[in-house]
Amino acid sequence: MSSLKELQDLIQDKYGIDPAELDPGASMRDKGFDSLALAEFLFEIEDRLHITLPDPDPEMDTLEQLAALVDRARAQPAPQQQKQQRVA
Amino acid sequence: MSRQGIAVTGLGLVSPHGQSPDAVFDALLRGESAIRPVFPELAKPALAATAAFDPAPWFNKLQLAGVDRVSQMAVAAAELALGDAGLDEPWDEAQGERIGIYVGCGMGGAAALEAAYRGGATGRVPPLTIPAFMPNAPASHIAMRRKVLGPVLTYSVACASSAIAIAEAARALESGEVDLAIAGGSEALIVPGVMMAWQAMQTLASAEPGQAASAVRPFAADRSGFALGEGAAFLILEPAGRAASRGARSYARLSGWGSSCDASHLTKPDAAGQARALRAALRKAGLAPGQVGYCNAHGTATRVGDPIECEALALVWGDALAQLRVSSTKALHGHLLGAAGALEALITVLALHRQALPPNMHVDEPDPACALNLVRPGESAAPGLGAAVSSSFAFGGTNAALVFQRS
Repeated sequence: MSSLKELQDLIQDKYGIDPAELDPGASMRDKGFDSLALAEFLFEIEDRLHITLPDPDPEMDTLEQLAALVDRARAQPAPQQQKQQRVA
Repeated sequence: MSRQGIAVTGLGLVSPHGQSPDAVFDALLRGESAIRPVFPELAKPALAATAAFDPAPWFNKLQLAGVDRVSQMAVAAAELALGDAGLDEPWDEAQGERIGIYVGCGMGGAAALEAAYRGGATGRVPPLTIPAFMPNAPASHIAMRRKVLGPVLTYSVACASSAIAIAEAARALESGEVDLAIAGGSEALIVPGVMMAWQAMQTLASAEPGQAASAVRPFAADRSGFALGEGAAFLILEPAGRAASRGARSYARLSGWGSSCDASHLTKPDAAGQARALRAALRKAGLAPGQVGYCNAHGTATRVGDPIECEALALVWGDALAQLRVSSTKALHGHLLGAAGALEALITVLALHRQALPPNMHVDEPDPACALNLVRPGESAAPGLGAAVSSSFAFGGTNAALVFQRS
């Protein structure tokens, strides 16, 4: 299942940007997500969705690409999470 | 540069008494204190003067990523100052290259650093902690927003930071390096960790329950220290001739500035060092001490500091000391540390502009060791006030004095 909807909700909640205003295929940078804002948003995603994201491709610039990154992170348990499970 | 000196053409602030310079000055004239209890969870009771500040008019939520409160308040105060000076319209690149920003900031983004320490315990440190914390971020945020392309500089000189920043701006204007300066300071360190560090330093005022508002009593026999404050204040400075030619209003002229270092002790002030800065500022302004009618004192209300400041004023003013009216407004707005010099410079400018002096509050019994002509409540009228000085004396020993004159 795609994480797109959750990311749209998160963007609306955190930044007050309506999903209709941010086309999933359009540049997030053009909407004001510069590299710093994106770094902070990735941190927020990890906190809210309890996942660990890999460092994103610097070329990544659309919400679709970000959703795909989150989907991949969810498909495979993060190394840290595996470790914790082994300890348990 | 024009012989007419440097004009103060805009004022902007975010302060414990609000964001309107006139309303803030009125509150000070009424002797209203903004000092309140904060952080009830701390082991030791804590007092501070916080600013009711909403960043929404200046930042959308996305723009707030990595922007600490200290930078938010700086941007707001600088924008308000530019608007007050009639400089809302964007300038072109050539003009932007001739503008400088001079910001005093003691500590940078204290809230960002505190969040990092707290998050660090769980291994989760916000990724923008460094750009949020760095003390030069406030100046950079103003520059990015306004496309200021000339010198954009930050001065970290503890309690003298923003007085030094204003003096450095004046020097740059005088030398012709810039045509316009956005000069002031910002400080936002009312967070539990910093509060506890100041409590440990034993310089903060104590207060009985219900007595927070009158806890800070500069030059009083029963004084016990200062309260921390937060906020930002900026002055727009430009050569008086240029200001006049664009039809700008001038609140006052910045005519003198001086700095010195005690070079004796990291935290204990020194009268001879303070006197050197005061004399340098008067010399630069071409004024004799007796020509200065008001001093907005550093006046931190510490046991050690106040008598030393009085001694410094006596060294410089001599027989004219009795004519110098003095008040420390820290009794009301707290000690804004890196932003204190800018806020107090702004208050000094308004004292000249409005011919009125904010009172030195909470002194039932003056300390005989602080024999000054304090501005008493109800005695604020100052008709004919022509020149005034604002003092800032820092931990580290650096002293700064600014002299303003009526336009």
